[in-house]
Amino acid sequence: MSTARLTAMGPMVALRDLLHRAGIRPRLRNREAGLLLLVAFSLLIGWLSLASYQAGRLTVGDPSILVIYVALLTGVHVAFVMTGRRTDQVLLPVTAMLGGLSLLLMARLPQGLAALSLPGLDLGLAPLQLLWISGAFILLALLAIVVRNDNWLREYKYTWAATGIGLLLLVFIFGPEVNGSRLSIAIGPVSGQPSELLKVILVVFLAAYLAENRTLLARISTRIGPISLPPLPYMLPMVAMLAIALAIVIVQRDLGAALLFFSVFLTMLYAATRRRAYVALGLLLFIGGALVLYQLFPHVRTRVDIWLDPYADPLGAGYQILRALYAFGRGGVLGTGLGAGLPQVGDVPAIPAIHTDFVFAGLAEELGMLGALAIVFLYGVIAERGLRIAVQAADDFRALLAVGLTLVVVIQAAIIIGGNLKLVPLTGITLPFISYGGSSLFANAIVIGLLLALSDRGVEPPPPPSSGSRFGFGRAGAG
Amino acid sequence: MDAFTLTLWLLRVAFVICIYFFFFLLLRALARDLRSTVNSAGRSLGRLIVVESPQGQPTLGASIPLDAITSLGRDVNNSITVDDGFVSAEHARLTFRGRAWYLEDRGSTNGTFVNGQPVQGVVPVGYGDELQLGQVRLRLERTQP
Repeated sequence: MSTARLTAMGPMVALRDLLHRAGIRPRLRNREAGLLLLVAFSLLIGWLSLASYQAGRLTVGDPSILVIYVALLTGVHVAFVMTGRRTDQVLLPVTAMLGGLSLLLMARLPQGLAALSLPGLDLGLAPLQLLWISGAFILLALLAIVVRNDNWLREYKYTWAATGIGLLLLVFIFGPEVNGSRLSIAIGPVSGQPSELLKVILVVFLAAYLAENRTLLARISTRIGPISLPPLPYMLPMVAMLAIALAIVIVQRDLGAALLFFSVFLTMLYAATRRRAYVALGLLLFIGGALVLYQLFPHVRTRVDIWLDPYADPLGAGYQILRALYAFGRGGVLGTGLGAGLPQVGDVPAIPAIHTDFVFAGLAEELGMLGALAIVFLYGVIAERGLRIAVQAADDFRALLAVGLTLVVVIQAAIIIGGNLKLVPLTGITLPFISYGGSSLFANAIVIGLLLALSDRGVEPPPPPSSGSRFGFGRAGAG
Repeated sequence: MDAFTLTLWLLRVAFVICIYFFFFLLLRALARDLRSTVNSAGRSLGRLIVVESPQGQPTLGASIPLDAITSLGRDVNNSITVDDGFVSAEHARLTFRGRAWYLEDRGSTNGTFVNGQPVQGVVPVGYGDELQLGQVRLRLERTQP
């Protein structure tokens, strides 16, 4: 028996020695491998179900998209193993499952919803989405592997803020106007939505600023009569940054992004200071702002009116949300099955913008309430992992960065899922990792990539805290 | 209901079951991690953050978990080796007794300081206090989380 074991172990040991001599120290990631295997198996079943329904007989159809996707995931996993990273092992499989669901939906939608025509190459919706997802996962893997210290993020916070604002101004000046709003920027054949990238930049800036001034913001108050307000001078750069972002976003009429930025700002402020007064003040500002915007801007009023009563104009303004509600109803508990939902009129899908804003409604119809709940749960898992990474972070900046990055994904998902369900007024933002679109996928890939890098137990320790923080406020000692 | 419709229905259900099985495995992984955190939380009583270390030993910015008795000095047999010209081989000892930390100078040449005050005999120290041995400064902190 021992000889059998020796011959079995021999090649493994030899391989390990060979790798070690080449400077490669692989570290197995069994949990990630197991979870990814299950993702691949689930997607295979889903693909089988979809292709069989469409063909009318048991078949896998043309599984090239699925094969490429699984190969990509394997590649990312192997890269993590070979570089010996000790990063979180749950985030990649969860992201992979969301991306797989996206591909299943894109494969069954009319392929003409998005198209890229290059000489000798015509890509429809599903291949294009596969292309974006591949790019996103490669970006994610690169960040998770390459990022070994965070000084480039924490030291240049104002540069990052300026970059973000600059990006938005660029859109404002050069972006083409679509439906009265400028959302995207096009340079040659490449176009993108900078507000997706801006959300990541905003989180980096807020984390760096809050980490530096945390003690001040948490301790001192400016007293005006009976009200104890936060120290105003130290709030100013943050509030200014946010106000500029919000103003531009409102002028661009990207209300979803505005809502997202504001929520992330408030939650990060609370996470850094634990002062409920900030949250209360923020909510008051939000209510006041919402009322003013409702009065001032007709497009805001339309959104709210549709939300309150979509039946007022069922074939016009309320059409989209009503179709979505019918889709949820048709889906029921178990769903109609992949490929069986969404009766189409010719080549037009039942719900306008189903591949971007209404992916959740599309998936909920075909996978039913159970499938829709599973998607919500997956975002819940991302939240747990991200906050866990924050709790275990080595210093304030990393903790706040992890909190912000997690929230930006989860709050975005909550806003658009709520919008699809008519829980909140609909705002056009994407469902992270599921909606079609390169900008959204890349931005969210940066988020998960940075979270993975933050979770690595082998990264450099953070720089030492500057001796005695400003104005003599040390850390709280509970001696 | 013919065989094909039945197969299709089974595939649909199988897909949803797969997703939920995936979710179940995720939950199990989360629960395990949570439990291991809870178990390891009691193991370390506190930690020392290296605030200043001109010689690089211990590493600047490092967070060193503490046992109930931690000895500090230049000798390699100490729990924490402090490589600095002004630190004695057996310099100081940090102990956790009852519910509090105590620092004791072990007859060092250049003395041990807590928040700038020289240590005489055994003194209690609290979280947030800064210890100085030679040119090396360390801050006592709670274990996170």
